[in-house]
Amino acid sequence: MEPSSIPQEWLEEFEAAARRPLEQRWRYAFIHTYKPVLDDAKYRSFDTMEEYRRWCEENLPSWLGYGRV
Amino acid sequence: MAAFENRQAEEIRDALRRHGVQYLFGKSGAVLLGFPDTTQDADLFVKRGHENSRALNAALRELGFSLTETQAAEIERGKDFVQLKDGPFDLDLVFAPDGIERFEDAWNRRVEVEGFPVCHPDDIIASKESAHRQKDQETLPRLRAFRDYWRSQKR
Repeated sequence: MEPSSIPQEWLEEFEAAARRPLEQRWRYAFIHTYKPVLDDAKYRSFDTMEEYRRWCEENLPSWLGYGRV
Repeated sequence: MAAFENRQAEEIRDALRRHGVQYLFGKSGAVLLGFPDTTQDADLFVKRGHENSRALNAALRELGFSLTETQAAEIERGKDFVQLKDGPFDLDLVFAPDGIERFEDAWNRRVEVEGFPVCHPDDIIASKESAHRQKDQETLPRLRAFRDYWRSQKR
């Protein structure tokens, strides 16, 4: 996609973000909200990504968006 | 848990550098490149290997993550995915991200942003495409457009 074909609204957002210093990019990007189940354990590990994806599908509320489409 | 901040990102970068850990900022690295999006956790793509993982464990403990011996052993073993939520901030360790075959390839394509090694936007997109998660599908059109904008700024 050439920049000329990027929707104007997105382009303006990209240009505004490019002008922000790194510190501000982090601040604007990381928004911590409680995620049920996912945030309820202090540590989790999975042997494979497939195992992790399956766990997400079987255990997390669908509205979190971790399920596969 | 407070949101992840610039100071913490710098602490990660500096601690991992001191310990000689080979890693890349993964999907959250798009933010470093200037992608205006929101995310919840920082994620690191870490090179597999006993020595690298031992160095990573040392760096994580220095940062304030209280790893048990079992957890440290799992990280050293190089599980594909580890979630840490018992430290100064939440951190995902990914040893085998979807859509990226080899760490070395991603390392060679990396982008450096103020000393932060970041996955190339193509790799971030490939990883999100391969994950097939609903939340990634919603982000991808905008991320692809950002990649093209970012490229145009590099010319």
